[in-house]
Order: sequence, then structure tokens, then C-alpha cells
Amino acid sequence: MSNNDKAKFAFYWASSCGGCEIAVVDIDAVILDVAALGDIVFWPCATDFKYKDVEGYDDGFIDITFFNGAIRNDHEEHVAKLLRQKSKVMIAFGACSGLGGIPGLGNFYTTEELFQQAFEHSPSTVNPDNVRPQPSYDVPEGTVTIPAILDSVRALDQVVQVEYYIPGCPPQPQWIAAAVTAYAEGKLPPPGAVIAGESTVCDECPREKSDEKSITEIKRIHLVENDPEKCLLEQGIMCCGPATRSGCEAACVVAGQACRGCFGPTDEVVDMGAKLVSSIASIAVPETQEEIDALMAQVDDPAGYFYRFSLPTSMLFRSIHDMTEGQ
Amino acid sequence: MEKIMIDPITRLEGHGKIAIFLDDGGNVAESYLQIPEFRGFEKFCQGRPVEEVPRIVPRICGV
Repeated sequence: MSNNDKAKFAFYWASSCGGCEIAVVDIDAVILDVAALGDIVFWPCATDFKYKDVEGYDDGFIDITFFNGAIRNDHEEHVAKLLRQKSKVMIAFGACSGLGGIPGLGNFYTTEELFQQAFEHSPSTVNPDNVRPQPSYDVPEGTVTIPAILDSVRALDQVVQVEYYIPGCPPQPQWIAAAVTAYAEGKLPPPGAVIAGESTVCDECPREKSDEKSITEIKRIHLVENDPEKCLLEQGIMCCGPATRSGCEAACVVAGQACRGCFGPTDEVVDMGAKLVSSIASIAVPETQEEIDALMAQVDDPAGYFYRFSLPTSMLFRSIHDMTEGQ
Repeated sequence: MEKIMIDPITRLEGHGKIAIFLDDGGNVAESYLQIPEFRGFEKFCQGRPVEEVPRIVPRICGV
């Protein structure tokens, strides 16, 4: 445990992929500023501190915890609460901790449905005894434990108080650097701030937008040759740009792929799905109810497009079919 | 039986812990590596448009 006057930083991953750890390294030379500013007192991916070390820290000992990953099991919930207690500032780092992220797609299903596919039905699974993960298991030498899966995936601020958000899947180096610089200069924004752009991905997208009614059909991106100069949505290709916070410099769209909303909604957008339906409607050619229904029926997986990274923090939160089934 | 927990295992991509049980002589009797991660990609990729799957599964491991 480091007890000098330098700031103390912690990094943690809950239900995540490790891409956020790579994003930290991607800040390039700014990592030297981080090292000059403070000491790292917990970072499982890169350093050998244990949970018991964190438990031994005084409350508020850590200046900033950069927390990535969603809350999928009871251990992640426990660590979120532990780090909250030990930290002055909690930053939800990345789409999973800020919005629920890709693991949040699990909220479309019951835990049993997720387990059934992974441990029983998937073609590569051989499990004749139908063994499932057990939170506690007796072995001849004693008992071993693993975390219990929670009913629903949650974002970090649905479990503990969060001061700041650095969005993105993964977060972009310029915003990580902006947060570190703001901390170093004592210029952190008011709590609750999202450290990213303030407009939409469309506002920083280089593709040309006509703002005319132009959608006659919904197209799947791999089945058409899209015009690289023109707005994807106006070409009938599902793009989440109108609802999504700016700050990525429209990276996916520039690379020829549609936006999937990993920066989450802007401050003005209450619900990404509602905003996107509205955006499509405003540039759709069909006018009668039947024509509009036929157009929208061409969207293969609306919930999967609109809430790709944000289902747990959307107005939907989760599918409730399990509740009607009494599970 | 004495139990040593290495929790978490560190400096690698992924989550895990190790339970080591020692016998009366202080030697390792048995050890268990436990992987506590589960997200359910096997399920939530089903039914999604196939062209979207390459945009979902990179998040299995982003290293």
C-alpha cells in the first residue's frame, strides 16, 4: 500500500471484455502523466493487488476509480460497493458500466434461458449430466465458491453512486486524456457529467445529409452498395447516429459501418429507441399507417439495434416475459 | 484443511481465482481454478441479424 502524497488510482473490470483496459493503454504518452500524477493501488489486469488489499484501505483512500464492465453477478456488485466506499470519485468507464453495454443484451432473456443455451443446447456443448454453475460446491477438501448470476444486468450507477461517465466501446483516448487533465488541473466538471461530446454522432459525421424524406425501404448493410458520401440512414440503412452522443468522430460511420450507439444517448435524448423511431419517421417517404407499418416491419431486430449498448439503462430495462412466467 | 485463496488472479485478461487446499503437512493437497465469468453470448446472439454478430462477439474478449 502506497502512502505518499500522490493521487491514488484504481482500475477495475466487472462484466467486461478487457477492451477498456486496452483503451487505457491506448492513451499513449498520456499514461506517463497518469503515472506522474498518481499511484495505481488496484488494477487486476496489470498489477498484483488483491481484494483483501482494497478491503484494507481507508474509506476514500482511492482518489479515482475507473470502473469498467456491467454488473452481472453478486461478486461484481460487492466489488462495486467496496470500491465506492474506498473511492472519492467513481468514473463509469466505457459502455458496459455506463449503460449496461453488450452484456446488457442478456436482459432480453431469463437467467435460465442464458444458462440453457450456454450449458445445454449450444452445438459445441457436451454436458450429459446437465451440470450448471453452482455458487457453492463441496469438494473433498472443503468448499469452493463462484459468484451467483443476478436476475438482470445493471449499469454501475444502478448499483452505486457515480460521479462521471467516460462513454464508448471502447472509450476514446482523447476523452480519457481529457478526464485525466481535468483532474490534474482541478477542473473536473460538476458530478453527473458525461466526459464526451455534447451533440450527436450525426453532427460530427462527414456524410452528407439532405434532411429530405428519403427512406422508402429498410436495407441490410451487407446486401447493398452504399454511397460513401451520403447519410446511411437516408439510404435506408439502420444507423443510431441521431440518438447517440458525439465524441467518437463518427468512427464506425467513417469506416463504412452504421453507428450502434455505444456512446449512449445525448442529454436531450430520453430514450434511444423512441428517438430513433422518431428520426426514421421524419425522413420516411411512406405516409399512410399501412405503408409505415410495412416499412418498420422491415427492421429485423429493432430492440437489438436501438438498445445495442444500453438496454439496462433504457426505459425498457429488461424483457419481462420471465415475470409473467413466474421465474 | 487449510485453504489459501488467490483472489483475483492478476496480470492476465479475464477473471479468475484459485483455491489451494493444504494437507496436515502443509503441502498442496488439491487446487481449484475457478472462472467466475458468465455473460450469455451463446443466447443473446441468437435471432440477431447475422451481419450484426461481428459487431457483438468482439466484446467476448476485447484484448
